[in-house]
Amino acid sequence: MLRIDRRLIQNFDWVLLGLMVILISMGIANLMSATHAQAGEGLAPEVRRQLLAVSLGSVGMLICLFVDYRILERLAMPFYFLSLALVGSTLFLAPVIHGSQSWLVFGPVRLQPAEVMKLGLVVALARSFHHQPAGELRLLRELWKPGLLLAAPVGMILLQRDMGVAVLTLLIGASYLPFARIQTRSWVAFGTAVIAALVALWNFGLESYQRGRILDFVDPARDPLASGYQAIQSTIAVGSGGFFGKGYLEGTQTQLRFLPTQHTDFAFSVLAEEWGFLGSAFTLLLYLLFLIWGLRIALHSKEGFGSVLAVGLVGALFWPAVINIAMVLGLAPVIGVPLPFFSYGGSSMLISMIAAGLLLNVSMRRYMF
Amino acid sequence: MPFVMIGVALTFGIFLMRLFQLQIIRGDEYQIRSERNSVRTVRLEAARGEILDRERRLVASTRPAFGVEVIPNELHAPQRTYDALGELLGREVLDLQGVVGSPGGRRRFQPIALATDLSYEERARVESHRYALPGVFTTIRPRRYYEAGESAAHLLGFIGEIGAEQLGTRRFADYRAGEIVGKSGLEYVLESHLRGRAGGRNTIVDVAGREMEVLDEVRAVRGGTAVLTLDRELQAVAEQALATSTEGETRTGAVVAMDVKTGDLLALVSLPAFDPNSFAGGIDSKTWQALRDDPLEPLLNRAITGQYPPGSTYKAVVAAAALEEGLITPEEKIYCPGSFRLGRRTYRCWKRAGHGWVDLQRSLVESCDVYYYQAGLRLGVDRIAFFARAFSLGRLTGIPIPNEQPGLVPTTAWKERRFGEPWHKGETVSTSIGQGYNLMTPIQLAVIYAAIANGGALVEPRVVRRLETKDGALVREYPPVFRGTVPVRPENLQLVRDAMEGVVSAPNGTGSRARVPGVRVAGKTGTAQVVRLKDDDAEEVEIRREHRDHAWFVAYAPVEAPEIVVAVLVEHGGHGGATAGPVAQAVLAHYFASKVSDETVPVLERSAAVETVSVGGGDASH
Repeated sequence: MLRIDRRLIQNFDWVLLGLMVILISMGIANLMSATHAQAGEGLAPEVRRQLLAVSLGSVGMLICLFVDYRILERLAMPFYFLSLALVGSTLFLAPVIHGSQSWLVFGPVRLQPAEVMKLGLVVALARSFHHQPAGELRLLRELWKPGLLLAAPVGMILLQRDMGVAVLTLLIGASYLPFARIQTRSWVAFGTAVIAALVALWNFGLESYQRGRILDFVDPARDPLASGYQAIQSTIAVGSGGFFGKGYLEGTQTQLRFLPTQHTDFAFSVLAEEWGFLGSAFTLLLYLLFLIWGLRIALHSKEGFGSVLAVGLVGALFWPAVINIAMVLGLAPVIGVPLPFFSYGGSSMLISMIAAGLLLNVSMRRYMF
Repeated sequence: MPFVMIGVALTFGIFLMRLFQLQIIRGDEYQIRSERNSVRTVRLEAARGEILDRERRLVASTRPAFGVEVIPNELHAPQRTYDALGELLGREVLDLQGVVGSPGGRRRFQPIALATDLSYEERARVESHRYALPGVFTTIRPRRYYEAGESAAHLLGFIGEIGAEQLGTRRFADYRAGEIVGKSGLEYVLESHLRGRAGGRNTIVDVAGREMEVLDEVRAVRGGTAVLTLDRELQAVAEQALATSTEGETRTGAVVAMDVKTGDLLALVSLPAFDPNSFAGGIDSKTWQALRDDPLEPLLNRAITGQYPPGSTYKAVVAAAALEEGLITPEEKIYCPGSFRLGRRTYRCWKRAGHGWVDLQRSLVESCDVYYYQAGLRLGVDRIAFFARAFSLGRLTGIPIPNEQPGLVPTTAWKERRFGEPWHKGETVSTSIGQGYNLMTPIQLAVIYAAIANGGALVEPRVVRRLETKDGALVREYPPVFRGTVPVRPENLQLVRDAMEGVVSAPNGTGSRARVPGVRVAGKTGTAQVVRLKDDDAEEVEIRREHRDHAWFVAYAPVEAPEIVVAVLVEHGGHGGATAGPVAQAVLAHYFASKVSDETVPVLERSAAVETVSVGGGDASH
């Protein structure tokens, strides 16, 4: 069944894979530094777990490569509902960690269903948009089906009190909008609705600590020792890196653990502190290249579903990266979103690698139709 | 699609610009902030310099005090930590919680002291559990220790946190809030010498405040040493003697023992005293309030601040003045019928029956009031005042301890100024026996009698002999200071001295209780009236304590070559000879006993011979 076409190998996208491997390697090295203070000699348990996640991710990628991605169009809805069920189950099964219920715990394995949901959503939306007749302008109300597909998981994640992931999921879903050819007046109506929703959310939907985080972003000096502390410490870490950085394992903010959650959400601060402008600008360029490359895959795919799917997959990697980097640089409120390929976190790594695998899949099959 | 690519590229362009801004434009600024983040500067307090007595025995030293602090922000499980600490320190859990409270904001990151003076075992217990107690730290700070507790408390003074009002002043320009300074006594006077120099240590700390690495350290330098003129043992003897001079009552009063030739203070006692050790670690407000509100005023240094009418101790000054002015001769006899009449008033002699014909010698030995009424009237108040001032009354003796009071020497001009009334002759009468407006401090009495004893030289009381560095190198020496001589010819002083030996040694002398076997002691008793009693017949015991007279006694010895003068004041002690005399006797006895043992000359046979003589004599006072 797994017949390897020679053209598949000829068309294999080594650039995308190469970019991903570089990012993941840097992420592991960075994680070793971030956990160095606790671990002392040897590898920290976080590094071991991350390496395990990378191995699992590689297996996932390989499977994605061998199977024609078009099978996903048929499996889209079952996969979507499965991930929705996983997310829903956290409401009943998951323990409350840091104020939100977003983890499913199976013995030593902790799964974040919201990460799986990203993929499920992307696939389901790709299917939904692919089914729409292309070419003509659409009214907003014609988008009720993808809208519903998006609203269900976002609503459920909001119920888990995980604001950051809810926003992230919303943005990933919205990634399709620029490609959906919508009339201008619909955009206006949409914009109004979004603003109304944001106002309502601010007043009724947010916990006070979440409002606090946003206020802290607007004015980090509001309480330098409370939640604005993270933003300030991160900015200090990044800024103190200077041009050349303080050197690997030499970042004082990192090694003395002034950075909060430095191996997960603030992994990029560690990099910026130790490698300076040189290292962090290089990393940003790698991400940019990866994402542009992903969009190029969407552009070059001769097949409709593949093209739409690639757009969604790029969105699923773009938004967390943007939110995370903006937060680290003090440009966005502190939202617990991991940096794909970089932050410590098995679920994120696994899903990001599978997303990359699917992109590779679309890419190498671009000439087959 | 190209628009989306441009959008993505623009987003990352913004990130690059932000990186440029943070890392390159403002990189230096953040570099400094990150260093400040991780480098903690710890102040290392300097140990206060040692204070030694004249024999270089420790009087005040510094010892390490172990404390426990918590940083509220780092208490992971506050309740468990309090429970554990409560058990380790044997303290109430609620107590500990109360001390810490629930501070907010920046204060959560600042250490709060839970205990400042742990025993070695307690500290070891906490230290061995430290890793189970995150947020709990042990500290070692130097702490002042006064070797003999309350002894010489007023002379040494006490220390405490610098006051807010002091912080801005020039004297304390380089002090910071919370620093320990000398608040009174020598601790205050010698502050700059004893203080030492605080050090500092820069350590790299992690976010939990744990010290990871020492960057650099400047060791604290202990303050300099001060060598006093004080004799620690004699001080203790004097305190003991004063405290036990009457049983059942809290003895209040003062003792000054001084070298008559150099002005060296050998003992300076004021009772009741306080324990300066209770101030060393920061006094709690309850103890402080109690000390302040105590009606017996334990914080008052009675030896230099307490002003009392000199009573009959003044008679030596009046006698010297009258002799010098040629108004009396040693041979002249004045008749004492037991009272003296001036105008419509009658002034009594303390001895109702009268002394009969009294010459100078007897007038001092038996302290005849009528003799001095006459002598005083011949002199007039202003001439008395001239001599009193010449003997250093009414002005500061110059003892380098704060809050010395000058006493008071009344004159006609003074009364005019003070009350707008002319001086009455009757006031001269009471002035000439040291009552009325006269006021004197115990230290002044010692200076006056030192001058009489040493032939007329006025010494300035000396407390500090020398200042040394912590390693013993000389910083400054304080030679004896003389403030002139009294305007009385030596032969007249000799007459006064001769009489005063009789006060102690004559069978009818008022100071017989001050006899020391083997030593020729001279002295003078005195009684300072507190209130003028309407009914002189009142029985002593019925008079309320606070209305009872103060008892004075001043003595010097040995008569043939005076070395030491001892001035004693027993507040509300009644007659001077009876209550104050034995205190002086105890001090003199100890002084000569230890002197003898120092010189290792056996004198037992000698003292045994004289011992039998010291019985009898007049116990009456004045």
